[in-house]
Amino acid sequence: MSSIKDIYNFAYSAMTIVEMEVRKIRHDSTELWTRAIQPALWLLIFGQVFNSVRELAPTGFTYIQFITPGVLAQSVLFIAIFYGITLVWERDVGLLTKLLSTPSPRSSIVVGKALAAGVRGAFQAIMIFALAVIIGVNLRHGLLDVAGVFLVIILLAMCFSSLSMCLASFLRTRDRMMGIGQMLTMPLFFGSNAIYPVSLMPPWLQFISKINPLSYVVDALRAMLLTGNYTNLPTDIGVLLISTLVMVSLASMTVKRLLE
Amino acid sequence: MTKFYPPDIRAVDDITFSVDMGEIFGLLGPNGAGKTTTLKIITTLGTPTSGSINVFDIDVLKASQKARQMFGYVPQTVSADGDLTGYENLLIFAKLFYVSKDERAERISDALEYMGLSDRKNDLVKQYSGGMVRRLEIAQALVNRPRILFLDEPSIGLDPSSRRQVWGYLKRLNKEFGITVFITTHDMVEADELCNRIAIMNAGKITITDTPANLKKSVGGDVVTVKFTPNRTHVPIPKELGLVMGAEEGLVRISTENGEKAIPQIMQYFESKGVGVESISLNRPTLDDVFMKYTKSSLQENGKLGETRSIRRSFARLGK
Repeated sequence: MSSIKDIYNFAYSAMTIVEMEVRKIRHDSTELWTRAIQPALWLLIFGQVFNSVRELAPTGFTYIQFITPGVLAQSVLFIAIFYGITLVWERDVGLLTKLLSTPSPRSSIVVGKALAAGVRGAFQAIMIFALAVIIGVNLRHGLLDVAGVFLVIILLAMCFSSLSMCLASFLRTRDRMMGIGQMLTMPLFFGSNAIYPVSLMPPWLQFISKINPLSYVVDALRAMLLTGNYTNLPTDIGVLLISTLVMVSLASMTVKRLLE
Repeated sequence: MTKFYPPDIRAVDDITFSVDMGEIFGLLGPNGAGKTTTLKIITTLGTPTSGSINVFDIDVLKASQKARQMFGYVPQTVSADGDLTGYENLLIFAKLFYVSKDERAERISDALEYMGLSDRKNDLVKQYSGGMVRRLEIAQALVNRPRILFLDEPSIGLDPSSRRQVWGYLKRLNKEFGITVFITTHDMVEADELCNRIAIMNAGKITITDTPANLKKSVGGDVVTVKFTPNRTHVPIPKELGLVMGAEEGLVRISTENGEKAIPQIMQYFESKGVGVESISLNRPTLDDVFMKYTKSSLQENGKLGETRSIRRSFARLGK
């Protein structure tokens, strides 16, 4: 009985943190709009230029189609990987201290923050869908596929924002977080199948892409948005789920370090 | 109620103290004395190296979640979210404290009203003044209806009038609802104004715990200085008036327990002897004197260098 109540309270606290973030965004949504610019540039500039290189895209698809899921994943990754900076900032101003002084379990605060990153990611997905429609990129849009895309995006944001929060617990300053964030995004992004197929990579990079959760995300997104071939989907989502669970647990355990 | 033996740095060094239910207790000390560390440990935001803490019969270290349910905590730094409205700040905290849905609206509006913020509740907090933010933070802690309220330097950065206002609210809370209030401060006026009892902390140790009045007494009583009109005749000063501490050309200093009551008696005495009095002034010891006395004595005990070092270290910790 009490364990059911515990679970309910946990979920309730996490959702409250999400509500807090959503209310903030509602007061000032500039952040969401400016974040949509970078993926737009990727599609409009990078995508247009490389569209002429035939070998990059699998047969039957244009390069812009090919990288749209990749750019979506990348832009959500960027949101998530710098999420720890917000946490450090909240620690600096005393907000985190206050959150952690409530009876809500600490892990529920972390899960809430991670979910809030997911909400931002979902908005990013909406923006990219809209952009794809505007520039005429043909994507599948079955109800299940779109729902699946949102699920994957939210998990992706949770996974990497938790990694970021975990790092923040050890690095403790915003400057160091900026540095590590930039250091991580490049290998994660280029060491994945986001903008070119794995088959074009040298073997060592292929290996990196195998252990890179982002590859599985992009693979899942591509299956749902482009090919409709779901053979790899269980593996993709399984890997993503496990990575997310591990990261969220790690972040929950380390977040208290930020206060000391 | 409380006791711990932390840690490597000895930011808090083997202290034991208790707070009575329903009182306003002040932990007083210079910067880096270990006040905030102590407070963080009590509120479960930090862990002690060793020791135990009991609040209302609950072992804080073991049942931290249960303990936090009874606490209200206002940190030193501004902790309300500037990007939310005052109302939203309270709403989120009411939810995180699991205030039930039926009670939530009432508690929020009570807290807002009580802290005088009802008319600004829908404004973003970043548009609030410093005093209003502090009041909002106290309101945030109040939605939980805490049994004990912890405030880390409650009046830091506030102007004198906002400071008085915050003190007024805290006193009222204490009186009307019997909430136990625990503050840390380095402001003597604040400690004197607010606290029923004070513990003076220095270099991780508590030097003394007592009421402000007793502490002041311990550094000496009131001093009445009487200045005579020129060409006075010398008269003896009887013991009942107080102890003569010193006489200079044309004036005399008398030490007494209660200066205000002694002044009329002194006046009367000199008048009856036909001695003209030009002016009388009263000097009461302040908590500043107390503070200087108790932090200085421990400085000498420990040796100055070790002292400065430990203060610096705990500063470095805070900055990290």
